[in-house]
Amino acid sequence: MTGAAPSPNASGDLPAAVRQALAVAEPVGGARAGLTSDLTIDETLILHSVAWAPRDLVVGLSVQSVPSSIWSWGSGEIELASRAHARAFAHAVARLHAEAVAVGAHGVVGVHVERRILASHIEVELVGTAVAPADAPRIPDGQVFVSDLSARDFALLLAGGWRPVALAVGASFTYAPRRAVGAALRQQTQNVELTNYTAALYDARSTAMERMQRAALDAHGAGIVDVTVTEGPLRFAAHAIGFTAWGTVVVPASSSQTIDPLTVVSLDDAVNAFDVAPLA
Amino acid sequence: MSDDLPEAAHGRLQGGAFTSGLSVADLAACHAMGLEPVGLVQGFCAMQWGYGPARTGFGGGLGMGFASGLAPSVARGGYVENYQCPHAMVSAEHRQWGQNYEQTWVEQSWHDGYDAASRRMLEEATALGAHGVVGVVDTVASLVESGVVEFHLLGTAVVVSGLERPATPWTSSLAGQRLAKLFEAGYAPVSTIAVVSSVRVWASCMTEYFMGSGAGLWSSPSDSVEIDQLVSARTRARQLVRERARSQLRGDELHGVDLRVSEREPGPGDIDIEVQLRGNRVRRARPADPLTFPRPTVALS
Repeated sequence: MTGAAPSPNASGDLPAAVRQALAVAEPVGGARAGLTSDLTIDETLILHSVAWAPRDLVVGLSVQSVPSSIWSWGSGEIELASRAHARAFAHAVARLHAEAVAVGAHGVVGVHVERRILASHIEVELVGTAVAPADAPRIPDGQVFVSDLSARDFALLLAGGWRPVALAVGASFTYAPRRAVGAALRQQTQNVELTNYTAALYDARSTAMERMQRAALDAHGAGIVDVTVTEGPLRFAAHAIGFTAWGTVVVPASSSQTIDPLTVVSLDDAVNAFDVAPLA
Repeated sequence: MSDDLPEAAHGRLQGGAFTSGLSVADLAACHAMGLEPVGLVQGFCAMQWGYGPARTGFGGGLGMGFASGLAPSVARGGYVENYQCPHAMVSAEHRQWGQNYEQTWVEQSWHDGYDAASRRMLEEATALGAHGVVGVVDTVASLVESGVVEFHLLGTAVVVSGLERPATPWTSSLAGQRLAKLFEAGYAPVSTIAVVSSVRVWASCMTEYFMGSGAGLWSSPSDSVEIDQLVSARTRARQLVRERARSQLRGDELHGVDLRVSEREPGPGDIDIEVQLRGNRVRRARPADPLTFPRPTVALS
Protein backbone atom coordinates (compact mmCIF):
# COMPACT_ATOMS: atom_id res chain seq x y z
CA MET A 1 0.00 0.00 0.00
CA THR A 2 1.39 3.38 -0.91
CA GLY A 3 -1.59 5.66 -0.28
CA ALA A 4 -1.91 8.04 2.62
CA ALA A 5 -2.79 6.66 6.05
CA PRO A 6 -5.94 8.02 7.72
CA SER A 7 -5.78 10.24 10.76
CA PRO A 8 -6.15 8.32 14.04
CA ASN A 9 -7.87 11.43 15.39
CA ALA A 10 -10.64 10.91 12.90
CA SER A 11 -10.96 7.14 13.22
CA GLY A 12 -9.97 6.80 16.88
CA ASP A 13 -8.29 3.50 16.03
CA LEU A 14 -4.59 3.96 16.75
CA PRO A 15 -3.48 0.36 15.97
CA ALA A 16 -5.16 0.56 12.55
CA ALA A 17 -3.51 3.92 11.85
CA VAL A 18 -0.13 2.47 12.93
CA ARG A 19 -0.53 -0.48 10.55
CA GLN A 20 -1.52 1.77 7.68
CA ALA A 21 1.29 4.27 8.34
CA LEU A 22 3.85 1.47 8.39
CA ALA A 23 2.56 0.19 5.06
CA VAL A 24 3.18 3.53 3.31
CA ALA A 25 6.18 3.04 1.03
CA GLU A 26 6.65 6.60 -0.22
CA PRO A 27 6.30 9.96 1.54
CA VAL A 28 2.92 11.52 0.84
CA GLY A 29 2.16 15.12 -0.12
CA GLY A 30 3.24 17.78 2.32
CA ALA A 31 6.50 16.01 3.20
CA ARG A 32 9.56 18.23 3.03
CA ALA A 33 12.31 16.16 1.44
CA GLY A 34 15.66 16.29 3.18
CA LEU A 35 14.36 18.12 6.23
CA THR A 36 16.56 17.80 9.34
CA SER A 37 15.61 19.06 12.78
CA ASP A 38 16.80 18.66 16.35
CA LEU A 39 13.30 19.20 17.71
CA THR A 40 11.63 16.43 19.69
CA ILE A 41 8.36 14.97 18.45
CA ASP A 42 6.55 17.03 21.12
CA GLU A 43 8.22 20.24 19.91
CA THR A 44 7.43 19.39 16.29
CA LEU A 45 3.76 18.84 17.15
CA ILE A 46 3.44 22.08 19.10
CA LEU A 47 5.15 23.96 16.27
CA HIS A 48 2.63 22.44 13.83
CA SER A 49 -0.19 23.54 16.14
CA VAL A 50 0.71 27.19 15.49
CA ALA A 51 1.03 26.49 11.74
CA TRP A 52 4.84 26.58 11.68
CA ALA A 53 7.19 23.76 10.61
CA PRO A 54 10.89 22.96 10.88
CA ARG A 55 13.03 23.54 7.78
CA ASP A 56 16.59 22.48 8.61
CA LEU A 57 19.22 22.12 11.32
CA VAL A 58 21.49 25.19 11.14
CA VAL A 59 24.87 25.95 12.68
CA GLY A 60 27.00 29.07 13.14
CA LEU A 61 30.32 29.39 14.91
CA SER A 62 33.28 31.68 15.39
CA VAL A 63 36.67 31.59 17.11
CA GLN A 64 38.27 34.91 18.01
CA SER A 65 41.92 35.10 19.04
CA VAL A 66 42.95 37.36 21.91
CA PRO A 67 46.51 38.07 23.08
CA SER A 68 47.02 36.26 26.40
CA SER A 69 48.74 39.36 27.79
CA ILE A 70 45.36 41.09 28.16
CA TRP A 71 44.51 38.93 31.18
CA SER A 72 47.41 40.32 33.25
CA TRP A 73 46.64 42.52 36.25
CA GLY A 74 45.04 45.84 35.44
CA SER A 75 42.07 47.98 36.26
CA GLY A 76 38.75 48.67 34.61
CA GLU A 77 37.23 46.71 31.76
CA ILE A 78 39.27 44.32 29.60
CA GLU A 79 37.91 45.92 26.48
CA LEU A 80 39.65 43.71 23.97
CA ALA A 81 38.13 40.58 25.56
CA SER A 82 34.67 42.13 25.63
CA ARG A 83 35.05 43.14 21.98
CA ALA A 84 36.31 39.69 20.97
CA HIS A 85 33.34 38.07 22.71
CA ALA A 86 30.92 40.41 20.94
CA ARG A 87 32.53 39.67 17.57
CA ALA A 88 32.51 35.91 18.15
CA PHE A 89 28.78 36.06 18.92
CA ALA A 90 28.04 38.41 16.02
CA HIS A 91 29.90 36.21 13.50
CA ALA A 92 28.27 33.03 14.82
CA VAL A 93 24.80 34.60 14.65
CA ALA A 94 25.49 35.92 11.12
CA ARG A 95 26.51 32.45 9.91
CA LEU A 96 23.52 30.79 11.57
CA HIS A 97 21.28 33.44 10.03
CA ALA A 98 22.81 32.90 6.58
CA GLU A 99 22.10 29.15 6.76
CA ALA A 100 18.51 29.88 7.80
CA VAL A 101 18.06 32.32 4.91
CA ALA A 102 19.48 29.74 2.49
CA VAL A 103 16.67 27.26 3.33
CA GLY A 104 13.95 29.88 3.13
CA ALA A 105 13.29 29.97 6.87
CA HIS A 106 11.62 32.83 8.70
CA GLY A 107 13.64 32.25 11.84
CA VAL A 108 15.67 29.91 14.02
CA VAL A 109 14.34 28.53 17.31
CA GLY A 110 15.82 26.50 20.15
CA VAL A 111 19.32 27.88 19.61
CA HIS A 112 21.81 26.13 21.88
CA VAL A 113 24.68 28.40 22.88
CA GLU A 114 28.08 26.78 23.50
CA ARG A 115 30.92 29.07 24.62
CA ARG A 116 34.49 28.64 25.76
CA ILE A 117 36.55 31.49 27.15
CA LEU A 118 40.23 30.56 26.98
CA ALA A 119 43.36 32.60 27.58
CA SER A 120 44.22 32.64 23.88
CA HIS A 121 40.80 32.66 22.22
CA ILE A 122 37.05 32.88 22.65
CA GLU A 123 34.77 30.36 20.97
CA VAL A 124 31.04 30.58 20.30
CA GLU A 125 28.92 27.91 18.62
CA LEU A 126 25.18 28.16 17.95
CA VAL A 127 22.99 25.25 16.83
CA GLY A 128 19.26 25.54 16.20
CA THR A 129 16.40 24.57 13.93
CA ALA A 130 15.34 26.91 11.14
CA VAL A 131 11.55 27.23 11.00
CA ALA A 132 8.91 28.89 8.85
CA PRO A 133 5.12 29.06 8.64
CA ALA A 134 3.84 26.13 6.59
CA ASP A 135 3.96 26.91 2.83
CA ALA A 136 4.94 30.54 3.48
CA PRO A 137 6.98 32.42 0.86
CA ARG A 138 10.44 33.77 1.63
CA ILE A 139 10.72 36.99 3.58
CA PRO A 140 13.45 39.65 3.36
CA ASP A 141 16.70 38.43 4.93
CA GLY A 142 16.62 41.19 7.53
CA GLN A 143 13.35 39.88 8.95
CA VAL A 144 14.66 36.36 9.64
CA PHE A 145 14.99 36.07 13.43
CA VAL A 146 17.32 34.06 15.67
CA SER A 147 16.00 32.97 19.07
CA ASP A 148 17.12 30.70 21.89
CA LEU A 149 13.51 30.07 22.90
CA SER A 150 12.47 26.42 22.74
CA ALA A 151 9.81 25.49 20.19
CA ARG A 152 7.32 25.25 23.05
CA ASP A 153 8.15 28.73 24.31
CA PHE A 154 8.11 30.07 20.75
CA ALA A 155 4.60 28.68 20.22
CA LEU A 156 3.45 30.10 23.56
CA LEU A 157 4.96 33.47 22.66
CA LEU A 158 3.02 33.55 19.38
CA ALA A 159 -0.16 32.45 21.15
CA GLY A 160 0.35 35.25 23.63
CA GLY A 161 0.48 37.86 20.89
CA TRP A 162 4.24 38.42 20.68
CA ARG A 163 6.97 37.42 18.26
CA PRO A 164 10.78 37.08 18.49
CA VAL A 165 13.01 39.38 16.45
CA ALA A 166 16.62 38.68 17.46
CA LEU A 167 19.09 37.24 19.92
CA ALA A 168 20.55 40.01 22.10
CA VAL A 169 23.91 39.52 23.79
CA GLY A 170 25.95 41.60 26.21
CA ALA A 171 29.26 40.74 27.82
CA SER A 172 31.89 42.47 29.87
CA PHE A 173 35.21 41.28 31.26
CA THR A 174 36.59 43.38 34.11
CA TYR A 175 39.67 43.31 36.30
CA ALA A 176 39.11 42.94 40.04
CA PRO A 177 41.56 45.59 41.22
CA ARG A 178 44.38 44.58 43.56
CA ARG A 179 43.96 45.24 47.23
CA ALA A 180 46.68 47.16 49.02
CA VAL A 181 49.25 44.83 50.55
CA GLY A 182 48.32 45.98 54.03
CA ALA A 183 44.61 45.37 53.41
CA ALA A 184 45.28 41.92 51.96
CA LEU A 185 47.38 40.92 54.97
CA ARG A 186 44.86 42.35 57.43
CA GLN A 187 41.93 40.57 55.77
CA GLN A 188 43.71 37.23 55.49
CA THR A 189 42.21 35.89 58.74
CA GLN A 190 38.95 37.87 58.63
CA ASN A 191 35.49 37.06 57.32
CA VAL A 192 34.98 40.23 55.31
CA GLU A 193 33.52 41.30 52.02
CA LEU A 194 36.14 41.68 49.29
CA THR A 195 34.82 44.92 47.92
CA ASN A 196 37.17 44.86 44.96
CA TYR A 197 35.50 41.66 43.68
CA THR A 198 32.00 42.94 44.50
CA ALA A 199 32.71 46.19 42.67
CA ALA A 200 34.14 44.32 39.66
CA LEU A 201 31.03 42.11 39.50
CA TYR A 202 28.78 45.16 39.60
CA ASP A 203 30.83 46.91 36.92
CA ALA A 204 30.82 43.87 34.64
CA ARG A 205 27.10 43.29 35.16
CA SER A 206 26.19 46.88 34.56
CA THR A 207 28.15 47.08 31.31
CA ALA A 208 26.98 43.70 30.00
CA MET A 209 23.31 44.35 30.75
CA GLU A 210 23.53 47.78 29.14
CA ARG A 211 25.03 46.21 26.01
CA MET A 212 22.33 43.56 25.85
CA GLN A 213 19.62 46.21 26.20
CA ARG A 214 21.33 48.31 23.53
CA ALA A 215 21.25 45.29 21.20
CA ALA A 216 17.52 44.92 21.88
CA LEU A 217 16.88 48.56 21.06
CA ASP A 218 18.96 48.26 17.87
CA ALA A 219 16.65 45.38 16.87
CA HIS A 220 13.63 47.64 17.58
CA GLY A 221 12.55 45.24 20.34
CA ALA A 222 10.12 45.95 23.14
CA GLY A 223 11.83 43.63 25.61
CA ILE A 224 14.00 40.59 26.20
CA VAL A 225 12.74 37.25 27.55
CA ASP A 226 14.40 34.14 28.92
CA VAL A 227 17.69 35.86 29.72
CA THR A 228 20.59 33.53 30.51
CA VAL A 229 23.27 34.95 32.77
CA THR A 230 26.76 33.61 33.42
CA GLU A 231 29.21 35.34 35.74
CA GLY A 232 32.28 34.75 37.83
CA PRO A 233 36.06 34.77 37.77
CA LEU A 234 37.80 33.17 34.81
CA ARG A 235 39.39 29.78 35.38
CA PHE A 236 42.79 30.85 34.05
CA ALA A 237 42.73 34.40 35.52
CA ALA A 238 40.99 34.52 38.91
CA HIS A 239 41.47 38.30 39.13
CA ALA A 240 39.31 38.83 36.02
CA ILE A 241 35.52 38.77 36.21
CA GLY A 242 33.35 37.85 33.26
CA PHE A 243 29.63 38.62 33.03
CA THR A 244 27.58 37.52 30.04
CA ALA A 245 23.86 37.80 29.36
CA TRP A 246 21.81 36.79 26.35
CA GLY A 247 18.13 36.42 25.58
CA THR A 248 15.47 36.72 22.90
CA VAL A 249 14.27 40.16 21.86
CA VAL A 250 10.49 40.25 21.43
CA VAL A 251 7.93 42.69 20.07
CA PRO A 252 4.12 42.68 20.22
CA ALA A 253 2.62 41.08 17.11
CA SER A 254 0.18 43.02 15.03
CA SER A 255 -2.86 41.29 16.50
CA SER A 256 -3.56 41.59 20.19
CA GLN A 257 -3.87 38.20 21.88
CA THR A 258 -3.54 36.86 25.40
CA ILE A 259 -3.26 33.37 26.82
CA ASP A 260 -6.14 32.25 29.00
CA PRO A 261 -4.78 29.26 30.92
CA LEU A 262 -6.97 26.67 32.57
CA THR A 263 -6.32 26.28 36.29
CA VAL A 264 -5.94 22.65 37.35
CA VAL A 265 -5.25 20.79 40.57
CA SER A 266 -3.34 17.55 40.33
CA LEU A 267 -4.57 14.71 42.48
CA ASP A 268 -1.06 13.18 42.46
CA ASP A 269 1.10 13.83 45.50
CA ALA A 270 4.27 15.58 44.45
CA VAL A 271 6.41 13.39 46.71
CA ASN A 272 5.91 10.41 48.95
CA ALA A 273 5.88 12.04 52.39
CA PHE A 274 6.27 8.80 54.29
CA ASP A 275 9.89 7.67 54.27
CA VAL A 276 10.19 3.99 55.17
CA ALA A 277 13.98 3.97 55.22
CA PRO A 278 14.33 4.80 58.96
CA LEU A 279 12.12 1.83 59.85
CA ALA A 280 14.42 -0.69 58.18
CA MET B 1 20.44 -10.24 5.09
CA SER B 2 23.08 -12.80 6.08
CA ASP B 3 22.45 -14.77 9.24
CA ASP B 4 25.67 -14.98 11.25
CA LEU B 5 23.97 -15.13 14.65
CA PRO B 6 25.71 -17.32 17.24
CA GLU B 7 23.94 -20.59 18.09
CA ALA B 8 23.39 -19.39 21.65
CA ALA B 9 21.60 -16.31 20.33
CA HIS B 10 19.25 -18.49 18.27
CA GLY B 11 18.48 -20.52 21.39
CA ARG B 12 17.87 -17.43 23.48
CA LEU B 13 15.60 -15.85 20.89
CA GLN B 14 13.48 -19.02 20.76
CA GLY B 15 13.15 -19.09 24.53
CA GLY B 16 9.41 -18.36 24.72
CA ALA B 17 9.27 -15.43 27.17
CA PHE B 18 9.98 -12.08 25.63
CA THR B 19 12.67 -9.71 26.87
CA SER B 20 12.56 -5.95 26.39
CA GLY B 21 14.20 -2.69 27.32
CA LEU B 22 10.82 -1.01 27.69
CA SER B 23 9.57 0.65 30.85
CA VAL B 24 6.10 -0.34 32.03
CA ALA B 25 4.72 2.91 30.58
CA ASP B 26 6.42 2.23 27.24
CA LEU B 27 5.05 -1.33 27.23
CA ALA B 28 1.53 -0.01 27.84
CA ALA B 29 1.92 2.48 25.00
CA CYS B 30 3.18 -0.25 22.67
CA HIS B 31 0.11 -2.34 23.41
CA ALA B 32 -2.11 0.67 22.73
CA MET B 33 -0.45 1.02 19.30
CA GLY B 34 -0.82 -2.66 18.53
CA LEU B 35 2.91 -3.36 18.85
CA GLU B 36 3.90 -6.57 20.67
CA PRO B 37 7.44 -6.76 22.08
CA VAL B 38 9.19 -10.00 21.17
CA GLY B 39 12.73 -9.54 22.41
CA LEU B 40 15.59 -7.28 23.41
CA VAL B 41 17.89 -7.28 20.41
CA GLN B 42 21.49 -6.13 20.31
CA GLY B 43 24.41 -5.80 17.97
CA PHE B 44 28.09 -5.38 18.77
CA CYS B 45 31.21 -4.65 16.79
CA ALA B 46 34.72 -4.00 18.09
CA MET B 47 36.84 -2.17 15.55
CA GLN B 48 40.58 -1.74 15.46
CA TRP B 49 41.12 1.97 14.77
CA GLY B 50 43.36 1.81 11.77
CA TYR B 51 45.91 4.53 11.21
CA GLY B 52 45.47 6.24 7.91
CA PRO B 53 47.99 7.82 5.62
CA ALA B 54 48.29 11.13 7.45
CA ARG B 55 48.39 9.61 10.93
CA THR B 56 51.55 7.64 10.26
CA GLY B 57 53.65 10.77 10.19
CA PHE B 58 52.43 12.30 13.44
CA GLY B 59 54.69 12.53 16.42
CA GLY B 60 57.57 14.05 14.53
CA GLY B 61 57.46 12.93 10.94
CA LEU B 62 54.45 14.95 9.82
CA GLY B 63 55.42 17.99 11.81
CA MET B 64 58.84 18.04 10.26
CA GLY B 65 57.22 17.41 6.90
CA PHE B 66 55.09 20.52 7.27
CA ALA B 67 57.98 22.58 8.51
CA SER B 68 59.93 21.58 5.44
CA GLY B 69 56.98 22.34 3.17
CA LEU B 70 55.74 18.80 2.57
CA ALA B 71 52.05 17.96 2.70
CA PRO B 72 50.71 14.79 4.28
CA SER B 73 49.14 12.32 1.90
CA VAL B 74 45.38 12.84 2.05
CA ALA B 75 42.69 10.37 1.05
CA ARG B 76 41.18 11.31 -2.29
CA GLY B 77 37.72 12.78 -2.46
CA GLY B 78 37.75 14.28 0.98
CA TYR B 79 37.75 17.89 2.11
CA VAL B 80 41.18 19.52 1.95
CA GLU B 81 42.12 23.15 2.50
CA ASN B 82 45.64 24.58 2.53
CA TYR B 83 46.92 27.61 4.42
CA GLN B 84 50.16 29.19 3.26
CA CYS B 85 52.57 30.90 5.66
CA PRO B 86 52.61 34.65 4.87
CA HIS B 87 56.13 35.07 6.20
CA ALA B 88 59.50 34.43 4.68
CA MET B 89 61.49 31.59 6.22
CA VAL B 90 61.80 32.34 9.94
CA SER B 91 63.44 29.15 11.20
CA ALA B 92 63.61 25.46 10.43
CA GLU B 93 60.80 24.82 12.94
CA HIS B 94 58.54 27.48 11.45
CA ARG B 95 55.40 26.02 9.85
CA GLN B 96 55.51 27.08 6.24
CA TRP B 97 51.91 26.03 5.72
CA GLY B 98 48.98 24.37 7.38
CA GLN B 99 46.20 22.13 6.25
CA ASN B 100 42.67 21.03 7.13
CA TYR B 101 41.87 17.58 5.81
CA GLU B 102 39.06 15.10 6.14
CA GLN B 103 40.11 11.77 7.63
CA THR B 104 38.04 9.60 5.32
CA TRP B 105 39.66 6.40 6.61
CA VAL B 106 38.50 7.23 10.15
CA GLU B 107 34.97 7.96 8.88
CA GLN B 108 34.93 4.70 6.88
CA SER B 109 36.04 2.67 9.93
CA TRP B 110 33.40 4.34 12.11
CA HIS B 111 30.66 3.65 9.60
CA ASP B 112 31.86 0.05 9.10
CA GLY B 113 31.71 -0.54 12.86
CA TYR B 114 28.37 1.17 13.39
CA ASP B 115 26.75 -0.47 10.36
CA ALA B 116 27.99 -3.93 11.39
CA ALA B 117 26.54 -3.50 14.91
CA SER B 118 23.28 -2.20 13.44
CA ARG B 119 23.10 -5.07 10.94
CA ARG B 120 23.63 -7.63 13.71
CA MET B 121 20.89 -6.07 15.81
CA LEU B 122 18.55 -6.27 12.82
CA GLU B 123 19.53 -9.90 12.23
CA GLU B 124 18.33 -10.72 15.74
CA ALA B 125 15.12 -8.79 15.12
CA THR B 126 14.57 -10.61 11.82
CA ALA B 127 15.16 -13.96 13.52
CA LEU B 128 12.36 -13.04 15.92
CA GLY B 129 10.03 -12.21 13.05
CA ALA B 130 9.91 -8.56 14.09
CA HIS B 131 8.48 -5.73 12.02
CA GLY B 132 10.52 -3.08 13.80
CA VAL B 133 12.84 -2.20 16.66
CA VAL B 134 11.83 0.58 19.08
CA GLY B 135 13.79 2.44 21.74
CA VAL B 136 17.08 1.99 19.91
CA VAL B 137 20.08 3.37 21.77
CA ASP B 138 23.73 3.11 20.88
CA THR B 139 27.06 3.54 22.58
CA VAL B 140 30.39 4.09 20.91
CA ALA B 141 33.17 3.65 23.45
CA SER B 142 36.85 2.84 23.62
CA LEU B 143 37.71 -0.59 24.95
CA VAL B 144 40.61 -1.06 27.34
CA GLU B 145 42.99 -1.88 24.55
CA SER B 146 44.27 1.26 22.93
CA GLY B 147 42.88 1.95 19.50
CA VAL B 148 39.88 -0.39 19.81
CA VAL B 149 36.38 1.06 19.63
CA GLU B 150 33.24 -0.84 20.61
CA PHE B 151 29.92 -0.15 18.87
CA HIS B 152 26.84 -1.42 20.69
CA LEU B 153 23.23 -1.00 19.58
CA LEU B 154 20.26 -2.15 21.61
CA GLY B 155 16.50 -2.00 21.17
CA THR B 156 13.24 -3.86 21.61
CA ALA B 157 11.98 -5.83 18.63
CA VAL B 158 8.23 -5.57 18.07
CA VAL B 159 5.71 -7.26 15.81
CA VAL B 160 2.59 -5.66 14.37
CA SER B 161 -0.30 -8.04 13.98
CA GLY B 162 -2.07 -8.07 10.65
CA LEU B 163 0.83 -6.54 8.72
CA GLU B 164 3.15 -8.15 6.24
CA ARG B 165 6.72 -8.37 7.52
CA PRO B 166 9.16 -6.00 5.80
CA ALA B 167 12.41 -7.33 4.34
CA THR B 168 14.31 -5.25 6.89
CA PRO B 169 12.73 -4.17 10.19
CA TRP B 170 12.25 -0.45 10.70
CA THR B 171 14.04 1.16 13.65
CA SER B 172 13.48 4.18 15.87
CA SER B 173 15.02 5.59 19.02
CA LEU B 174 11.49 6.51 20.08
CA ALA B 175 9.34 4.22 22.20
CA GLY B 176 6.17 4.48 24.23
CA GLN B 177 4.09 7.63 24.07
CA ARG B 178 6.65 9.52 21.99
CA LEU B 179 6.34 6.89 19.27
CA ALA B 180 2.54 7.01 19.58
CA LYS B 181 2.68 10.79 19.07
CA LEU B 182 4.81 10.27 15.96
CA PHE B 183 2.12 8.00 14.48
CA GLU B 184 -0.63 10.39 15.55
CA ALA B 185 1.21 13.21 13.80
CA GLY B 186 1.02 11.22 10.58
CA TYR B 187 4.58 9.90 10.43
CA ALA B 188 5.95 6.38 10.26
CA PRO B 189 9.44 5.45 11.54
CA VAL B 190 11.90 4.28 8.89
CA SER B 191 15.32 3.95 10.50
CA THR B 192 17.75 5.45 12.95
CA ILE B 193 20.58 7.26 11.21
CA ALA B 194 24.08 7.78 12.59
CA VAL B 195 26.86 9.45 10.61
CA VAL B 196 30.25 10.87 11.47
CA SER B 197 32.77 13.32 10.08
CA SER B 198 36.42 13.53 11.04
CA VAL B 199 38.53 16.57 10.18
CA ARG B 200 42.13 17.08 11.19
CA VAL B 201 43.68 20.52 11.56
CA TRP B 202 47.39 20.89 11.15
CA ALA B 203 47.74 24.53 12.11
CA SER B 204 49.52 27.04 9.93
CA CYS B 205 52.01 29.31 11.66
CA MET B 206 49.34 31.99 12.14
CA THR B 207 46.73 29.57 13.49
CA GLU B 208 49.25 28.05 15.86
CA TYR B 209 50.25 31.43 17.22
CA PHE B 210 46.68 32.64 17.55
CA MET B 211 45.70 29.51 19.45
CA GLY B 212 48.84 29.37 21.51
CA SER B 213 48.57 32.80 23.09
CA GLY B 214 51.04 34.29 20.68
CA ALA B 215 48.78 36.67 18.82
CA GLY B 216 50.76 39.62 20.04
CA LEU B 217 53.74 38.44 18.04
CA TRP B 218 51.98 38.66 14.70
CA SER B 219 49.25 41.21 14.98
CA SER B 220 48.40 44.32 16.81
CA PRO B 221 47.34 43.49 20.36
CA SER B 222 44.79 46.27 20.08
CA ASP B 223 42.21 43.97 18.49
CA SER B 224 40.98 40.41 18.23
CA VAL B 225 41.34 38.27 15.11
CA GLU B 226 39.18 35.44 13.83
CA ILE B 227 41.07 32.15 13.51
CA ASP B 228 39.97 31.37 9.96
CA GLN B 229 41.55 27.93 9.65
CA LEU B 230 39.87 26.58 12.79
CA VAL B 231 36.51 28.17 11.93
CA SER B 232 36.68 26.64 8.46
CA ALA B 233 37.56 23.15 9.77
CA ARG B 234 34.82 23.15 12.40
CA THR B 235 32.23 24.52 9.98
CA ARG B 236 33.12 21.93 7.34
CA ALA B 237 33.00 19.06 9.86
CA ARG B 238 29.45 20.06 10.81
CA GLN B 239 28.42 20.50 7.18
CA LEU B 240 29.76 17.06 6.26
CA VAL B 241 27.61 15.16 8.77
CA ARG B 242 24.49 17.09 7.77
CA GLU B 243 25.14 16.43 4.07
CA ARG B 244 25.78 12.75 4.82
CA ALA B 245 22.55 12.44 6.80
CA ARG B 246 20.52 14.20 4.09
CA SER B 247 21.93 11.85 1.44
CA GLN B 248 20.36 8.91 3.31
CA LEU B 249 16.88 10.40 3.59
CA ARG B 250 15.63 9.76 0.03
CA GLY B 251 12.63 12.05 0.38
CA ASP B 252 12.00 11.36 4.07
CA GLU B 253 12.67 13.64 7.05
CA LEU B 254 15.18 13.44 9.91
CA HIS B 255 13.76 14.29 13.33
CA GLY B 256 15.29 14.60 16.80
CA VAL B 257 18.82 15.25 15.54
CA ASP B 258 21.52 14.88 18.17
CA LEU B 259 24.79 16.57 17.18
CA ARG B 260 27.80 15.53 19.27
CA VAL B 261 31.16 17.20 18.82
CA SER B 262 34.45 16.08 20.31
CA GLU B 263 37.88 17.56 19.83
CA ARG B 264 41.28 16.43 21.00
CA GLU B 265 44.64 18.07 20.62
CA PRO B 266 47.32 15.38 20.33
CA GLY B 267 50.00 18.07 20.08
CA PRO B 268 50.40 21.82 19.71
CA GLY B 269 48.57 23.01 16.63
CA ASP B 270 47.29 19.49 15.85
CA ILE B 271 43.53 19.25 16.35
CA ASP B 272 41.30 16.26 15.70
CA ILE B 273 37.62 17.18 15.22
CA GLU B 274 34.94 14.50 15.25
CA VAL B 275 31.24 15.25 14.76
CA GLN B 276 28.60 12.56 15.19
CA LEU B 277 25.00 13.09 14.09
CA ARG B 278 22.13 10.81 15.07
CA GLY B 279 18.46 11.09 14.32
CA ASN B 280 15.27 9.31 13.38
CA ARG B 281 14.44 9.01 9.70
CA VAL B 282 10.67 9.27 9.48
CA ARG B 283 8.22 9.21 6.59
CA ARG B 284 5.14 11.31 6.25
CA ALA B 285 2.37 8.74 5.90
CA ARG B 286 -0.58 11.07 5.51
CA PRO B 287 -1.00 14.77 4.71
CA ALA B 288 -0.26 17.13 7.57
CA ASP B 289 -3.14 17.37 10.01
CA PRO B 290 -1.87 19.66 12.78
CA LEU B 291 -3.24 19.44 16.28
CA THR B 292 -5.12 22.44 17.54
CA PHE B 293 -3.02 24.59 19.85
CA PRO B 294 -3.07 22.84 23.25
CA ARG B 295 -4.93 24.61 26.06
CA PRO B 296 -2.33 26.09 28.47
CA THR B 297 -2.82 25.07 32.08
CA VAL B 298 -1.66 26.41 35.41
CA ALA B 299 -1.34 23.90 38.24
CA LEU B 300 -2.31 24.77 41.81
CA SER B 301 -0.21 22.89 44.31
